Amino acid sequence: MTAASGDSRLAADRIRAFEQAGSAEELVVATRRLIACDDPLATVPHLVQVLGFNNPGAAVAAVDGLIALGPAAVGPLLANLDAHNYGARAWAVRALAGIGDPRGLDVLEDALATDVGPSVRRAAARGLGALRLESLAEAERHQMRERCLHALESGRGDGEWVVRYAVAAGLEGLALPMPPADPHRDRAESSLKQLQDPEREDTQVVRLRAGVALKRLNAQ
Amino acid sequence: MAGDGEPISEAEALEQLRQTDDQSRQYYAAWWLGRMRSRHPEAVPLLLAALRQRQPRDVGAGVEHNAVARNAARALGKIADGRAVPELLEVLDDADDGLREAAARALGELRATAALPLLTRRLASGPDVAGANRSDSPRLQEPCEAMLEALGTIGVAAPDVLAVIKPFTSHGRPLVRSAACRALLQLTGETAWAEELLQLLQHPQLQVRRAALMDLGAVGWRPALAPIQRTLAENSLKLIALRGLVENSTGSEADSDDEAVLMAMDALL
Repeated sequence: MTAASGDSRLAADRIRAFEQAGSAEELVVATRRLIACDDPLATVPHLVQVLGFNNPGAAVAAVDGLIALGPAAVGPLLANLDAHNYGARAWAVRALAGIGDPRGLDVLEDALATDVGPSVRRAAARGLGALRLESLAEAERHQMRERCLHALESGRGDGEWVVRYAVAAGLEGLALPMPPADPHRDRAESSLKQLQDPEREDTQVVRLRAGVALKRLNAQ
Repeated sequence: MAGDGEPISEAEALEQLRQTDDQSRQYYAAWWLGRMRSRHPEAVPLLLAALRQRQPRDVGAGVEHNAVARNAARALGKIADGRAVPELLEVLDDADDGLREAAARALGELRATAALPLLTRRLASGPDVAGANRSDSPRLQEPCEAMLEALGTIGVAAPDVLAVIKPFTSHGRPLVRSAACRALLQLTGETAWAEELLQLLQHPQLQVRRAALMDLGAVGWRPALAPIQRTLAENSLKLIALRGLVENSTGSEADSDDEAVLMAMDALL
Protein backbone atom coordinates (compact mmCIF):
# COMPACT_ATOMS: atom_id res chain seq x y z
CA MET A 1 0.00 0.00 0.00
CA THR A 2 1.16 3.54 -0.64
CA ALA A 3 1.82 6.10 2.05
CA ALA A 4 -1.08 8.13 0.72
CA SER A 5 -3.51 5.46 1.83
CA GLY A 6 -2.54 5.98 5.48
CA ASP A 7 -4.66 8.68 7.06
CA SER A 8 -5.86 10.47 3.95
CA ARG A 9 -9.60 10.64 3.46
CA LEU A 10 -9.19 11.86 -0.12
CA ALA A 11 -11.09 9.74 -2.60
CA ALA A 12 -8.22 9.87 -5.11
CA ASP A 13 -5.73 8.48 -2.56
CA ARG A 14 -8.06 5.73 -1.48
CA ILE A 15 -8.86 4.78 -5.06
CA ARG A 16 -5.13 4.55 -5.75
CA ALA A 17 -4.65 2.31 -2.71
CA PHE A 18 -7.58 0.22 -3.88
CA GLU A 19 -6.07 -0.22 -7.34
CA GLN A 20 -2.78 -1.31 -5.81
CA ALA A 21 -4.27 -3.82 -3.35
CA GLY A 22 -2.36 -7.04 -3.90
CA SER A 23 -3.93 -9.71 -1.71
CA ALA A 24 -7.54 -10.66 -1.13
CA GLU A 25 -7.35 -9.27 2.41
CA GLU A 26 -5.84 -5.97 1.27
CA LEU A 27 -8.71 -5.67 -1.20
CA VAL A 28 -11.28 -6.07 1.58
CA VAL A 29 -9.61 -3.34 3.64
CA ALA A 30 -9.18 -1.05 0.63
CA THR A 31 -12.85 -1.52 -0.33
CA ARG A 32 -14.02 -0.63 3.18
CA ARG A 33 -11.86 2.49 3.05
CA LEU A 34 -13.36 3.56 -0.28
CA ILE A 35 -16.77 3.82 1.36
CA ALA A 36 -15.48 6.02 4.19
CA CYS A 37 -13.66 8.59 2.06
CA ASP A 38 -14.50 12.28 1.60
CA ASP A 39 -16.21 11.79 -1.78
CA PRO A 40 -17.88 8.37 -1.82
CA LEU A 41 -19.72 9.09 -5.08
CA ALA A 42 -16.39 9.12 -6.89
CA THR A 43 -15.81 5.54 -5.76
CA VAL A 44 -19.02 4.06 -7.24
CA PRO A 45 -17.38 2.63 -10.39
CA HIS A 46 -14.74 0.93 -8.23
CA LEU A 47 -17.32 -0.48 -5.84
CA VAL A 48 -19.25 -1.87 -8.81
CA GLN A 49 -16.01 -3.34 -10.14
CA VAL A 50 -15.40 -5.17 -6.84
CA LEU A 51 -18.61 -7.17 -7.34
CA GLY A 52 -16.92 -9.06 -10.17
CA PHE A 53 -13.70 -9.94 -8.31
CA ASN A 54 -14.78 -13.23 -6.73
CA ASN A 55 -13.81 -11.88 -3.30
CA PRO A 56 -16.85 -12.31 -1.02
CA GLY A 57 -15.45 -10.20 1.83
CA ALA A 58 -14.79 -7.26 -0.48
CA ALA A 59 -18.11 -7.77 -2.29
CA VAL A 60 -20.05 -7.64 1.01
CA ALA A 61 -18.30 -4.35 1.85
CA ALA A 62 -18.98 -2.98 -1.64
CA VAL A 63 -22.69 -3.93 -1.50
CA ASP A 64 -23.01 -2.17 1.87
CA GLY A 65 -21.30 0.89 0.42
CA LEU A 66 -23.48 0.92 -2.70
CA ILE A 67 -26.65 0.59 -0.63
CA ALA A 68 -25.51 3.51 1.56
CA LEU A 69 -25.01 5.61 -1.58
CA GLY A 70 -28.55 4.83 -2.68
CA PRO A 71 -30.02 5.99 -6.01
CA ALA A 72 -26.68 7.44 -7.17
CA ALA A 73 -25.36 3.88 -7.43
CA VAL A 74 -28.24 2.52 -9.52
CA GLY A 75 -27.15 3.81 -12.94
CA PRO A 76 -23.63 2.33 -12.73
CA LEU A 77 -25.01 -0.93 -11.30
CA LEU A 78 -27.49 -1.37 -14.15
CA ALA A 79 -24.97 -0.29 -16.78
CA ASN A 80 -22.46 -2.90 -15.61
CA LEU A 81 -24.76 -5.89 -15.17
CA ASP A 82 -22.79 -8.78 -16.57
CA ALA A 83 -24.82 -11.74 -17.77
CA HIS A 84 -21.64 -13.82 -18.03
CA ASN A 85 -20.32 -13.24 -14.52
CA TYR A 86 -22.80 -14.97 -12.23
CA GLY A 87 -21.13 -13.80 -9.02
CA ALA A 88 -21.07 -10.15 -10.07
CA ARG A 89 -24.71 -10.27 -11.10
CA ALA A 90 -25.75 -11.89 -7.81
CA TRP A 91 -24.04 -9.15 -5.80
CA ALA A 92 -25.61 -6.47 -8.01
CA VAL A 93 -29.07 -7.94 -7.36
CA ARG A 94 -28.39 -7.73 -3.61
CA ALA A 95 -27.28 -4.11 -3.94
CA LEU A 96 -30.34 -3.19 -6.02
CA ALA A 97 -32.63 -4.97 -3.54
CA GLY A 98 -31.09 -2.97 -0.71
CA ILE A 99 -31.27 0.38 -2.49
CA GLY A 100 -34.95 0.00 -3.38
CA ASP A 101 -34.84 2.23 -6.43
CA PRO A 102 -37.75 1.54 -8.85
CA ARG A 103 -35.28 1.33 -11.75
CA GLY A 104 -34.15 -2.00 -10.29
CA LEU A 105 -37.55 -3.64 -10.81
CA ASP A 106 -36.72 -5.49 -14.06
CA VAL A 107 -33.62 -7.04 -12.54
CA LEU A 108 -35.37 -8.05 -9.31
CA GLU A 109 -38.32 -9.61 -11.15
CA ASP A 110 -35.99 -11.60 -13.36
CA ALA A 111 -33.80 -12.70 -10.41
CA LEU A 112 -36.71 -13.97 -8.29
CA ALA A 113 -38.16 -15.89 -11.22
CA THR A 114 -35.02 -17.38 -12.74
CA ASP A 115 -31.84 -17.10 -10.65
CA VAL A 116 -30.31 -20.45 -9.69
CA GLY A 117 -29.05 -19.16 -6.32
CA PRO A 118 -31.55 -19.19 -3.43
CA SER A 119 -29.62 -16.37 -1.74
CA VAL A 120 -30.12 -14.21 -4.83
CA ARG A 121 -33.82 -15.08 -5.13
CA ARG A 122 -34.35 -14.32 -1.45
CA ALA A 123 -32.66 -10.91 -1.81
CA ALA A 124 -34.82 -10.19 -4.87
CA ALA A 125 -38.01 -11.11 -2.99
CA ARG A 126 -37.07 -8.81 -0.14
CA GLY A 127 -36.25 -6.04 -2.64
CA LEU A 128 -39.57 -6.42 -4.45
CA GLY A 129 -41.31 -5.54 -1.20
CA ALA A 130 -39.06 -2.58 -0.47
CA LEU A 131 -39.04 -0.47 -3.64
CA ARG A 132 -39.49 3.22 -2.87
CA LEU A 133 -42.62 3.94 -4.86
CA GLU A 134 -44.05 6.87 -2.85
CA SER A 135 -42.65 9.59 -5.09
CA LEU A 136 -44.07 8.08 -8.30
CA ALA A 137 -47.25 9.30 -9.97
CA GLU A 138 -50.35 7.33 -9.02
CA ALA A 139 -50.70 5.42 -12.28
CA GLU A 140 -47.05 4.41 -12.42
CA ARG A 141 -47.04 3.39 -8.78
CA HIS A 142 -50.09 1.22 -9.36
CA GLN A 143 -48.47 -0.46 -12.34
CA MET A 144 -45.21 -1.16 -10.49
CA ARG A 145 -47.06 -2.56 -7.48
CA GLU A 146 -48.93 -4.85 -9.82
CA ARG A 147 -45.62 -6.20 -11.15
CA CYS A 148 -44.08 -6.58 -7.67
CA LEU A 149 -47.17 -8.36 -6.43
CA HIS A 150 -47.28 -10.68 -9.42
CA ALA A 151 -43.60 -11.58 -8.97
CA LEU A 152 -44.08 -12.27 -5.25
CA GLU A 153 -47.22 -14.34 -5.89
CA SER A 154 -45.19 -16.54 -8.24
CA GLY A 155 -42.36 -16.68 -5.69
CA ARG A 156 -44.74 -18.33 -3.21
CA GLY A 157 -44.16 -21.58 -5.14
CA ASP A 158 -40.36 -21.45 -4.80
CA GLY A 159 -38.80 -24.74 -3.72
CA GLU A 160 -36.56 -23.14 -1.07
CA TRP A 161 -38.04 -22.22 2.30
CA VAL A 162 -35.80 -19.17 2.66
CA VAL A 163 -37.14 -17.69 -0.58
CA ARG A 164 -40.74 -18.24 0.53
CA TYR A 165 -39.79 -16.62 3.85
CA ALA A 166 -38.46 -13.59 1.96
CA VAL A 167 -41.66 -13.57 -0.14
CA ALA A 168 -43.70 -13.30 3.10
CA ALA A 169 -41.51 -10.43 4.31
CA GLY A 170 -41.71 -8.81 0.87
CA LEU A 171 -45.51 -9.06 0.75
CA GLU A 172 -45.70 -7.32 4.12
CA GLY A 173 -43.42 -4.52 2.94
CA LEU A 174 -45.40 -4.10 -0.27
CA ALA A 175 -48.82 -4.06 1.39
CA LEU A 176 -48.16 -1.93 4.49
CA PRO A 177 -48.21 1.44 2.70
CA MET A 178 -51.44 0.58 0.82
CA PRO A 179 -54.83 1.83 2.00
CA PRO A 180 -57.12 -0.86 3.49
CA ALA A 181 -59.53 -0.96 0.52
CA ASP A 182 -56.79 -1.38 -2.10
CA PRO A 183 -57.35 -4.59 -4.15
CA HIS A 184 -53.57 -5.10 -4.22
CA ARG A 185 -53.61 -5.22 -0.46
CA ASP A 186 -56.30 -7.89 -0.52
CA ARG A 187 -54.22 -9.96 -2.91
CA ALA A 188 -51.12 -9.60 -0.72
CA GLU A 189 -53.13 -10.69 2.33
CA SER A 190 -54.54 -13.62 0.44
CA SER A 191 -51.00 -14.72 -0.51
CA LEU A 192 -49.89 -14.36 3.09
CA LYS A 193 -52.80 -16.50 4.24
CA GLN A 194 -51.64 -19.25 1.90
CA LEU A 195 -48.11 -18.99 3.32
CA GLN A 196 -49.59 -19.22 6.81
CA ASP A 197 -51.65 -22.34 6.02
CA PRO A 198 -50.11 -25.64 7.27
CA GLU A 199 -51.91 -27.46 4.43
CA ARG A 200 -50.03 -25.42 1.82
CA GLU A 201 -46.77 -24.44 3.53
CA ASP A 202 -44.71 -27.07 5.31
CA THR A 203 -42.00 -24.85 6.83
CA GLN A 204 -42.98 -23.58 10.26
CA VAL A 205 -40.85 -20.45 10.23
CA VAL A 206 -42.41 -19.35 6.92
CA ARG A 207 -45.90 -19.78 8.38
CA LEU A 208 -44.88 -17.77 11.46
CA ARG A 209 -43.45 -14.96 9.35
CA ALA A 210 -46.63 -14.80 7.27
CA GLY A 211 -48.65 -14.69 10.51
CA VAL A 212 -46.62 -11.73 11.79
CA ALA A 213 -47.16 -9.94 8.48
CA LEU A 214 -50.93 -10.48 8.66
CA LYS A 215 -51.00 -9.32 12.28
CA ARG A 216 -49.22 -6.09 11.35
CA LEU A 217 -51.46 -5.49 8.36
CA ASN A 218 -54.58 -6.03 10.43
CA ALA A 219 -53.36 -3.77 13.23
CA GLN A 220 -53.43 -0.75 10.94
CA MET B 1 -45.22 -28.45 -3.04
CA ALA B 2 -41.57 -27.51 -3.45
CA GLY B 3 -41.23 -29.65 -6.54
CA ASP B 4 -40.64 -27.02 -9.18
CA GLY B 5 -37.68 -27.32 -11.46
CA GLU B 6 -36.91 -30.93 -10.57
CA PRO B 7 -35.94 -32.82 -13.70
CA ILE B 8 -37.52 -36.17 -12.77
CA SER B 9 -40.88 -37.29 -11.46
CA GLU B 10 -41.48 -39.61 -8.53
CA ALA B 11 -42.29 -42.49 -10.91
CA GLU B 12 -39.02 -41.89 -12.77
CA ALA B 13 -37.06 -41.71 -9.53
CA LEU B 14 -38.49 -45.05 -8.40
CA GLU B 15 -37.69 -46.60 -11.79
CA GLN B 16 -34.12 -45.28 -11.75
CA LEU B 17 -33.58 -46.63 -8.27
CA ARG B 18 -35.01 -50.02 -9.26
CA GLN B 19 -32.56 -50.55 -12.14
CA THR B 20 -29.03 -51.47 -11.11
CA ASP B 21 -27.01 -50.98 -14.31
CA ASP B 22 -26.39 -47.28 -13.87
CA GLN B 23 -25.34 -46.45 -10.32
CA SER B 24 -25.14 -42.73 -10.93
CA ARG B 25 -28.87 -42.75 -11.76
CA GLN B 26 -29.58 -44.78 -8.63
CA TYR B 27 -27.51 -42.31 -6.61
CA TYR B 28 -29.53 -39.36 -7.86
CA ALA B 29 -32.86 -41.18 -7.51
CA ALA B 30 -32.13 -42.07 -3.87
CA TRP B 31 -31.24 -38.45 -3.13
CA TRP B 32 -34.38 -37.24 -4.91
CA LEU B 33 -36.72 -39.52 -2.96
CA GLY B 34 -35.21 -38.30 0.31
CA ARG B 35 -35.26 -34.67 -0.65
CA MET B 36 -38.93 -34.94 -1.66
CA ARG B 37 -39.70 -37.06 1.41
CA SER B 38 -41.52 -39.45 -0.88
CA ARG B 39 -44.55 -41.17 0.61
CA HIS B 40 -44.86 -43.64 -2.25
CA PRO B 41 -45.33 -47.23 -0.92
CA GLU B 42 -42.43 -48.47 -3.05
CA ALA B 43 -39.96 -45.82 -1.89
CA VAL B 44 -38.89 -47.41 1.41
CA PRO B 45 -38.61 -51.01 0.04
CA LEU B 46 -36.54 -49.78 -2.92
CA LEU B 47 -34.29 -47.67 -0.70
CA LEU B 48 -33.76 -50.65 1.59
CA ALA B 49 -32.81 -52.74 -1.45
CA ALA B 50 -30.33 -50.02 -2.45
CA LEU B 51 -28.94 -50.07 1.08
CA ARG B 52 -28.33 -53.82 0.71
CA GLN B 53 -26.35 -53.12 -2.46
CA ARG B 54 -23.43 -52.09 -0.23
CA GLN B 55 -20.23 -54.00 -0.68
CA PRO B 56 -17.58 -55.25 1.70
CA ARG B 57 -14.88 -52.71 2.34
CA ASP B 58 -12.28 -52.90 -0.38
CA VAL B 59 -9.47 -50.40 -0.23
CA GLY B 60 -8.77 -50.76 -3.94
CA ALA B 61 -12.37 -50.24 -5.03
CA GLY B 62 -12.32 -46.45 -4.76
CA VAL B 63 -14.36 -44.23 -2.53
CA GLU B 64 -17.57 -44.21 -4.52
CA HIS B 65 -18.56 -47.86 -4.55
CA ASN B 66 -20.94 -47.44 -1.62
CA ALA B 67 -22.29 -44.07 -2.70
CA VAL B 68 -25.74 -45.43 -3.61
CA ALA B 69 -26.08 -47.15 -0.23
CA ARG B 70 -25.03 -43.96 1.56
CA ASN B 71 -27.64 -41.89 -0.23
CA ALA B 72 -30.24 -44.58 0.43
CA ALA B 73 -29.44 -44.39 4.17
CA ARG B 74 -29.74 -40.59 4.12
CA ALA B 75 -33.05 -40.76 2.26
CA LEU B 76 -34.43 -43.31 4.73
CA GLY B 77 -33.62 -40.84 7.52
CA LYS B 78 -35.45 -38.03 5.76
CA ILE B 79 -38.48 -40.15 4.92
CA ALA B 80 -38.48 -41.17 8.60
CA ASP B 81 -40.27 -44.51 8.23
CA GLY B 82 -39.67 -46.76 11.24
CA ARG B 83 -39.44 -49.87 9.02
CA ALA B 84 -35.92 -48.77 8.10
CA VAL B 85 -34.55 -48.95 11.64
CA PRO B 86 -33.45 -52.64 11.79
CA GLU B 87 -31.45 -52.43 8.55
CA LEU B 88 -29.94 -49.07 9.46
CA LEU B 89 -28.80 -50.63 12.75
CA GLU B 90 -26.95 -53.29 10.74
CA VAL B 91 -25.29 -50.58 8.66
CA LEU B 92 -24.17 -48.86 11.86
CA ASP B 93 -21.81 -51.85 12.25
CA ASP B 94 -20.56 -51.78 8.64
CA ALA B 95 -16.82 -51.65 8.03
CA ASP B 96 -17.27 -48.57 5.79
CA ASP B 97 -17.20 -45.54 8.09
CA GLY B 98 -18.94 -43.37 5.48
CA LEU B 99 -21.89 -45.75 5.66
CA ARG B 100 -21.80 -45.75 9.46
CA GLU B 101 -21.92 -41.96 9.33
CA ALA B 102 -24.97 -41.88 7.04
CA ALA B 103 -26.71 -44.56 9.14
CA ALA B 104 -26.01 -42.68 12.39
CA ARG B 105 -27.53 -39.48 11.01
CA ALA B 106 -30.54 -41.35 9.65
CA LEU B 107 -31.14 -43.15 12.95
CA GLY B 108 -30.94 -39.77 14.70
CA GLU B 109 -33.56 -38.33 12.35
CA LEU B 110 -35.71 -41.40 13.07
CA ARG B 111 -35.30 -40.78 16.83
CA ALA B 112 -34.41 -44.47 17.03
CA THR B 113 -33.81 -45.31 20.69
CA ALA B 114 -32.92 -48.81 19.49
CA ALA B 115 -29.66 -47.31 18.19
CA LEU B 116 -28.49 -46.13 21.63
CA PRO B 117 -26.66 -49.33 22.71
CA LEU B 118 -24.70 -49.54 19.46
CA LEU B 119 -23.91 -45.82 19.26
CA THR B 120 -22.68 -45.68 22.85
CA ARG B 121 -20.66 -48.87 22.39
CA ARG B 122 -18.89 -47.52 19.31
CA LEU B 123 -18.03 -44.26 21.09
CA ALA B 124 -17.26 -45.74 24.52
CA SER B 125 -13.50 -45.91 23.88
CA GLY B 126 -13.51 -42.11 23.87
CA PRO B 127 -11.58 -39.43 21.98
CA ASP B 128 -8.29 -41.35 22.12
CA VAL B 129 -9.55 -44.47 20.35
CA ALA B 130 -12.92 -43.92 18.66
CA GLY B 131 -11.90 -40.29 18.11
CA ALA B 132 -8.34 -41.03 16.97
CA ASN B 133 -7.07 -39.98 13.55
CA ARG B 134 -6.95 -42.70 10.92
CA SER B 135 -3.63 -43.33 9.30
CA ASP B 136 -5.11 -43.69 5.80
CA SER B 137 -7.37 -40.62 5.62
CA PRO B 138 -8.16 -37.35 7.37
CA ARG B 139 -11.17 -39.03 8.96
CA LEU B 140 -11.47 -40.35 12.50
CA GLN B 141 -11.83 -44.02 13.48
CA GLU B 142 -15.53 -43.49 14.08
CA PRO B 143 -17.71 -40.82 12.43
CA CYS B 144 -17.82 -39.07 15.81
CA GLU B 145 -19.70 -35.93 14.79
CA ALA B 146 -22.59 -37.86 13.23
CA MET B 147 -22.78 -40.31 16.13
CA LEU B 148 -22.69 -37.58 18.80
CA GLU B 149 -25.33 -35.59 16.96
CA ALA B 150 -27.51 -38.69 16.70
CA LEU B 151 -27.27 -39.25 20.46
CA GLY B 152 -28.42 -35.67 21.04
CA THR B 153 -31.26 -35.91 18.54
CA ILE B 154 -32.55 -39.25 19.82
CA GLY B 155 -32.91 -37.40 23.09
CA VAL B 156 -32.46 -39.94 25.87
CA ALA B 157 -30.53 -38.23 28.68
CA ALA B 158 -29.52 -41.47 30.42
CA PRO B 159 -26.40 -41.32 32.64
CA ASP B 160 -24.49 -43.80 30.45
CA VAL B 161 -25.26 -41.79 27.32
CA LEU B 162 -24.05 -38.55 28.92
CA ALA B 163 -20.93 -40.29 30.24
CA VAL B 164 -20.02 -41.44 26.73
CA ILE B 165 -20.52 -37.99 25.18
CA LYS B 166 -18.73 -35.83 27.80
CA PRO B 167 -15.10 -36.81 27.03
CA PHE B 168 -15.59 -35.65 23.43
CA THR B 169 -16.04 -32.04 24.63
CA SER B 170 -12.25 -31.96 24.94
CA HIS B 171 -11.49 -33.65 21.61
CA GLY B 172 -8.68 -32.03 19.62
CA ARG B 173 -10.97 -31.15 16.71
CA PRO B 174 -13.32 -28.20 17.27
CA LEU B 175 -15.99 -29.76 15.03
CA VAL B 176 -16.16 -32.80 17.31
CA ARG B 177 -16.28 -30.58 20.40
CA SER B 178 -19.13 -28.66 18.80
CA ALA B 179 -21.08 -31.86 18.11
CA ALA B 180 -20.54 -33.09 21.68
CA CYS B 181 -21.64 -29.78 23.23
CA ARG B 182 -24.68 -29.71 20.95
CA ALA B 183 -25.73 -33.18 22.10
CA LEU B 184 -25.17 -32.36 25.78
CA LEU B 185 -27.07 -29.09 25.50
CA GLN B 186 -29.98 -30.89 23.84
CA LEU B 187 -29.99 -33.62 26.46
CA THR B 188 -29.39 -31.58 29.63
CA GLY B 189 -30.25 -27.94 28.83
CA GLU B 190 -27.20 -26.98 30.91
CA THR B 191 -25.86 -23.51 30.06
CA ALA B 192 -22.21 -24.57 30.29
CA TRP B 193 -22.47 -26.50 27.00
CA ALA B 194 -24.01 -23.48 25.30
CA GLU B 195 -21.12 -21.32 26.48
CA GLU B 196 -18.68 -23.61 24.69
CA LEU B 197 -20.74 -23.38 21.47
CA LEU B 198 -20.88 -19.59 21.75
CA GLN B 199 -17.09 -19.57 22.05
CA LEU B 200 -16.84 -21.63 18.87
CA LEU B 201 -18.88 -18.95 17.03
CA GLN B 202 -15.73 -16.84 17.32
CA HIS B 203 -13.31 -19.52 16.17
CA PRO B 204 -10.79 -18.30 13.56
CA GLN B 205 -11.83 -21.02 11.09
CA LEU B 206 -15.02 -20.34 9.13
CA GLN B 207 -15.80 -24.06 8.97
CA VAL B 208 -15.94 -24.21 12.79
CA ARG B 209 -18.09 -21.10 13.07
CA ARG B 210 -20.49 -22.63 10.54
CA ALA B 211 -20.74 -25.86 12.52
CA ALA B 212 -21.40 -23.99 15.78
CA LEU B 213 -24.14 -21.98 14.02
CA MET B 214 -25.83 -25.16 12.83
CA ASP B 215 -25.47 -26.76 16.26
CA LEU B 216 -27.00 -23.83 18.14
CA GLY B 217 -29.82 -23.80 15.61
CA ALA B 218 -30.39 -27.53 16.02
CA VAL B 219 -30.70 -27.05 19.78
CA GLY B 220 -32.85 -23.95 19.39
CA TRP B 221 -30.86 -22.09 22.05
CA ARG B 222 -32.66 -18.71 22.24
CA PRO B 223 -29.96 -16.83 24.17
CA ALA B 224 -27.71 -17.39 21.12
CA LEU B 225 -29.67 -14.84 19.06
CA ALA B 226 -27.32 -11.88 19.50
CA PRO B 227 -24.10 -13.95 19.23
CA ILE B 228 -25.42 -15.53 16.01
CA GLN B 229 -26.18 -12.09 14.59
CA ARG B 230 -22.59 -11.01 15.32
CA THR B 231 -20.94 -14.14 13.88
CA LEU B 232 -18.75 -13.72 10.82
CA ALA B 233 -20.37 -16.16 8.39
CA GLU B 234 -22.67 -16.21 5.39
CA ASN B 235 -26.18 -14.88 5.91
CA SER B 236 -27.54 -18.13 4.44
CA LEU B 237 -26.16 -20.12 7.36
CA LYS B 238 -27.20 -17.57 9.95
CA LEU B 239 -30.72 -17.76 8.54
CA ILE B 240 -30.74 -21.55 8.95
CA ALA B 241 -29.47 -21.19 12.52
CA LEU B 242 -32.13 -18.59 13.36
CA ARG B 243 -34.82 -20.76 11.79
CA GLY B 244 -33.65 -23.40 14.25
CA LEU B 245 -34.00 -20.97 17.18
CA VAL B 246 -37.62 -20.42 16.18
CA GLU B 247 -38.60 -23.99 15.32
CA ASN B 248 -36.61 -25.99 17.87
CA SER B 249 -36.97 -23.65 20.80
CA THR B 250 -37.88 -25.49 23.98
CA GLY B 251 -39.39 -24.16 27.18
CA SER B 252 -42.04 -21.48 27.58
CA GLU B 253 -40.83 -18.52 25.55
CA ALA B 254 -43.07 -15.51 25.10
CA ASP B 255 -44.52 -14.94 21.63
CA SER B 256 -42.70 -11.63 21.34
CA ASP B 257 -39.48 -13.63 21.43
CA ASP B 258 -40.42 -15.33 18.15
CA GLU B 259 -40.91 -11.98 16.55
CA ALA B 260 -37.48 -10.78 17.68
CA VAL B 261 -35.86 -13.76 15.97
CA LEU B 262 -37.96 -13.24 12.84
CA MET B 263 -36.89 -9.60 12.63
CA ALA B 264 -33.27 -10.69 12.97
CA MET B 265 -33.91 -13.05 10.03
CA ASP B 266 -35.47 -10.25 7.97
CA ALA B 267 -32.29 -8.24 8.43
CA LEU B 268 -30.27 -11.05 6.85
CA LEU B 269 -32.37 -11.51 3.72
